[in-house]
Amino acid sequence: MPSKVLQSLKYPVVAADILRKRHSLKQELLQQTNLLSTRIAILGGSTTAEIRSMLEIFLLVHGVRPEFYESGYNRYSEDVLFESPSLWSFKPDIVFIHTTWQNVLEFPELTDGEAEFEERVRREIARFESIWQKIHNDLGALIIQNNFDLPRTRPLGNLEAFQPSGRLNFLLRLNAEFANYARKHSRFLINDILYLSSRLGLDAWYGHTYWYNFHMAVTPTAAVALAQNIAGIVKSVYGKSKKCLVLDLDNTLWGGVIGDDGVHGLLLGRDHAVGEAFLDFQRYIKNLQRRGVILAVCSKNETENAKEGFSHPDSILKLEDFAAFKANWNPKPDNIRDIASELNIGLDSIVFVDDNPAERALVSNQLPEVATPEVGTDVSRFAEILEYERFFETDKIVRDDLSRADYYSANAQRSAHEAQFSNYGEFLKSLEMAAEIGSFVPIYLERITQLINKTNQFNLTTKRYTSAEVEAMSLDSEFITLYGRLTDKFGDNGLVSVLAGRIHDETVEVDLWLMSCRVLNREMELAMFDALIEQCRARGIRAIKGIYIPSKKNGMVANHYRSLGFARESESDESWQAWGYDIPESYLPKTRFISVFTKPQPVPANA
Amino acid sequence: MNRTEFLLQMDEILGLKPGTLKGDEKLDELQNWDSTSLVSLIGLAETSNNVEISPEQVVGCSTVADLLRLAAAN
Repeated sequence: MPSKVLQSLKYPVVAADILRKRHSLKQELLQQTNLLSTRIAILGGSTTAEIRSMLEIFLLVHGVRPEFYESGYNRYSEDVLFESPSLWSFKPDIVFIHTTWQNVLEFPELTDGEAEFEERVRREIARFESIWQKIHNDLGALIIQNNFDLPRTRPLGNLEAFQPSGRLNFLLRLNAEFANYARKHSRFLINDILYLSSRLGLDAWYGHTYWYNFHMAVTPTAAVALAQNIAGIVKSVYGKSKKCLVLDLDNTLWGGVIGDDGVHGLLLGRDHAVGEAFLDFQRYIKNLQRRGVILAVCSKNETENAKEGFSHPDSILKLEDFAAFKANWNPKPDNIRDIASELNIGLDSIVFVDDNPAERALVSNQLPEVATPEVGTDVSRFAEILEYERFFETDKIVRDDLSRADYYSANAQRSAHEAQFSNYGEFLKSLEMAAEIGSFVPIYLERITQLINKTNQFNLTTKRYTSAEVEAMSLDSEFITLYGRLTDKFGDNGLVSVLAGRIHDETVEVDLWLMSCRVLNREMELAMFDALIEQCRARGIRAIKGIYIPSKKNGMVANHYRSLGFARESESDESWQAWGYDIPESYLPKTRFISVFTKPQPVPANA
Repeated sequence: MNRTEFLLQMDEILGLKPGTLKGDEKLDELQNWDSTSLVSLIGLAETSNNVEISPEQVVGCSTVADLLRLAAAN
């Protein structure tokens, strides 16, 4: 259970409490183990010390320990364009550009027409683009850029919203241009302070005292909200967002008790205030599911009764939207464990929503890894509370996310199909699996990076890499890189495996090998190994050195190299194991059930 | 918020043991004083007194006693 101090970081967060307790919060959070390190440069158009301090707290909450570089006041542009030696030597993983409306250099004049307005937009955007491009080209860091908030005063009154000379009109146009840039550049993310300031209210967002005395563009309260938002983005970049939403049914997805009230007695639909709130919550969940969040049910009910609830004519959620369905009288922690095991995901990937405080307390107590927000009993607040905690924040929606729901639906068919076979080999054969395996190519870099940063269980080293590092690897002839996609007769599993190793003379050292748990026990790892051998042979490599770094979660691959015929090397210890394999002259492919299509290997730039 | 409560909250903000501050200290001589401390203390004064403190009031603020006055924590 979180301590009383850490409890202040849970919803509902009171900014004043966090500001007051920052020292004790930081000390407690630093007690955590297995923190992921990252280097963040904060380039400020205003003072950023408060933001830095809060950001450290919220990143630690997500298990990320930051090291910071902070530009001087309002030197966000100069530090980049004039290549500040301290920034360049800092080598940031992430650059956060904290600019606000006060940093716009030239607002339109009252006499400006459309043409002058457009020219000013062009110049302002060009100024920012020159900063972004230099960061991308020279520092290779991910950029998190504020869009613009709005000033509290409107010299033109309501004309500000549409006149070419209106500041609000101008700022909203700049925001549209920033968004346009973000859509075209994968390593560029927007920190949406227009939304944050609207949510908080401009009077709470900006304070004259903080601006004139400290040149802070936001109040301390706003700094808390802003830091929380950025931490959510960073968390998602490192694949630490949750994957699965486990839901209770009665009074969570619909009003009433299905077992007592029957499907027609449920409150769900537009003809009742509370029924409409349940409907909207279902719609919110459906949207999460559409973008890749896995749904599961955990309810105290008879299974048939529980399923009948989804036949309600107004129900937006349908039975097939759920990848796992546990409706019984077992304790909910047991059911949630079963769901995690069935879906091959960690308990720490799960968020549990239940209107019953006793059930929440039980799950929270017995499964502290599961996020169990205090949603209360008012369904109209549920979605907001989930949003507030940023459980499912995502930095991008890649094709595999959109098809994840299809995958889980197909998976139910796979499970039913598997039950028909007593011989597992026969089952694998019947799946008619086909794999596409090739070197890293630009079209897959986003998914490869996502998988590297998300996968914990089938992951030999749990090393994390930024997109820039993955891209650099793909262009470096000293590396062998492989991705693997797998399809079967039930559907496309997507890009599910990644392997990479650096070549030293006639040996390749594999320190990145991971696979999505969706394709465990399909022999996909054998297909990847065969492809690695093929690559080695083509490049005159005679031996493979495999690295295994044990973690709390990757115990399932402890014997991975041994099972492939590797021998443990003497330089190993328990926390860092090296395994060696001499490629035989006559290697027989290990894959038995997967037809492998190897993509032609692109030639790295420095080959 | 009374004077004692305000001083205790200041202790917490600065990461000091409860009861460390007595009310007669100079701000920039305080232990753990850093660039974010004054901002946090102004925030505390605003919250405790439920007022927006003006830029001018902050300019003249150099002691714990000044902050107590701003927060009207007597």
